[in-house]
Amino acid sequence: MPNNILYVEDNPDNMMLVQRALEARGYRLLKARNGLDGVATAESEQVDLILLDINLPDIDGYEVARRLRSSSKRELTSVPIIAVTANALKGDAEKALDAGCDVYMSKPINIRELWARVEAFVPTP
Amino acid sequence: MINSKSSDMHGRESVQTKVLSAISMTPSYLSHLECSGCGKEYPHNQIHTFCPFCQSPLLSLYDLKRARQSVDRDEISRRQKGMWRWHELLPVLNQENQIFLGEGDTPLLSLPRLDKELGLSHLYVKDESSNPTGSFKARGLAAAVSKAKELGVEKVIIPTAGNAGGAMAAYAARAGLKAHIFMPKDTPFANIEESRMAGAEVVLVDGLISDAAGMAGEKARAEGWFDVSTFKEPYRVEGKKVMGYELAEAFNWQLPDVIIYPTGGGTGLVGMWKAFDELEKLGWLENTKRPRMVSVQADGCAPVVKAFQAKATFCDFWTNAHTLASGLRVPKSFADHLILQDIYESEGTAIAVSDGAILESQKQLASMEGIFAAPEGAATLAALKELIKQNWIHPEERIVLFNTGSGLKYLDHHA
Repeated sequence: MPNNILYVEDNPDNMMLVQRALEARGYRLLKARNGLDGVATAESEQVDLILLDINLPDIDGYEVARRLRSSSKRELTSVPIIAVTANALKGDAEKALDAGCDVYMSKPINIRELWARVEAFVPTP
Repeated sequence: MINSKSSDMHGRESVQTKVLSAISMTPSYLSHLECSGCGKEYPHNQIHTFCPFCQSPLLSLYDLKRARQSVDRDEISRRQKGMWRWHELLPVLNQENQIFLGEGDTPLLSLPRLDKELGLSHLYVKDESSNPTGSFKARGLAAAVSKAKELGVEKVIIPTAGNAGGAMAAYAARAGLKAHIFMPKDTPFANIEESRMAGAEVVLVDGLISDAAGMAGEKARAEGWFDVSTFKEPYRVEGKKVMGYELAEAFNWQLPDVIIYPTGGGTGLVGMWKAFDELEKLGWLENTKRPRMVSVQADGCAPVVKAFQAKATFCDFWTNAHTLASGLRVPKSFADHLILQDIYESEGTAIAVSDGAILESQKQLASMEGIFAAPEGAATLAALKELIKQNWIHPEERIVLFNTGSGLKYLDHHA
């Protein structure tokens, strides 16, 4: 059953919160702490959904989304991507959707909403 | 206790002093805070923002069983006017911390000419423009700033579409707190100027309130300032809920059939529904019939309407939000699930109106009833007309529109 979720996030507090929330629902969390690591992990592992922070230390989340959507690994062109950001800059949501993300969520992440959003793409294992 | 600071140079008592002197021995029945998402409980004598576990808003809970035994609704009605006459059901424990500028007890006006025009018989407007700083935001910020002061906070920060900033600046000034305000650069000039006049540091943001919220949140975390963003602290909603108490009292402890409310962050809608719950538990209502809650948004920013139509429990972030009603330019409320939950529970609805319909209704309210409403308030009349067309409203129903502020603060739209 598909249940691998990749979270690309450099903030350890957010990572821990999301890990706890998703593992409580039976999902397996794959972690990447920067954008390049996120792209590499997505290309090397079986990934059923990607949670993508926008403000990353190397390439930003928009670039990560664009690289995933143009990846030679076919699954990545359609894997659900949920953008997660503190929307500190104007138009973050619009840019995230334009870059290929399916959904935009702003921080702080409401865990019930996160569960609902994830389950809409990947049913609870 | 009489606060000596409330007397003027001749020793005369101010209105605030009279209000305080009417306060009973139990200032508040606040018992604890509870997460609206996971139900976790938190003590009220510490500073809290939102639930650190599930990141949902925290709500204030009161010992209503004890309050029911000792608080008399009719005695409250006899007190001096103002929001704090409901102090037993508000979160401030020490009356010296209640910051009062005259908020609350706004008029509930009948609208006889519009009644006739629209074929209705019991149409009212709760006119919040008479609050200090000219909007309903005064209620929430009075409660939040008072509680912040009580908890020892010295610096407060807020992202705002406009009126909340002006209100926070005023209450922070009176409380002696330093205010920092992040608002979109196209916020009405009145809001920018009133905030600066009250001594607040104002940062104009190239974006919407959601962008301002992101920046304010970062600043709050970096500087350790207390973030008074909508629903990211537990007390603004407590001030707003008093609108619900006042309505119940005005309708002789029954509730109107329909409340039509403009929804940005949704604090008022959620607050009033909370108030009705509390009144029911207190046994103060004459019957258990609740109003149908109508959430009104602008068609250029209608996340609640879209979610309601999809029967969703959360809103999608609304992209490219635009409307002249700056208070409605909220792409996603932090309490969207509470707003939707209350609309569903009330068997209400959510409706979007155009900027054109808002301006037309604003003129109609002013020319027919003498009320120069804020665009957000005028949106409720535009929504009412649409609901009448849809036969969603019965002509005999008691309907309350909410005018959330004064049109005088939006003169930029008429220049």
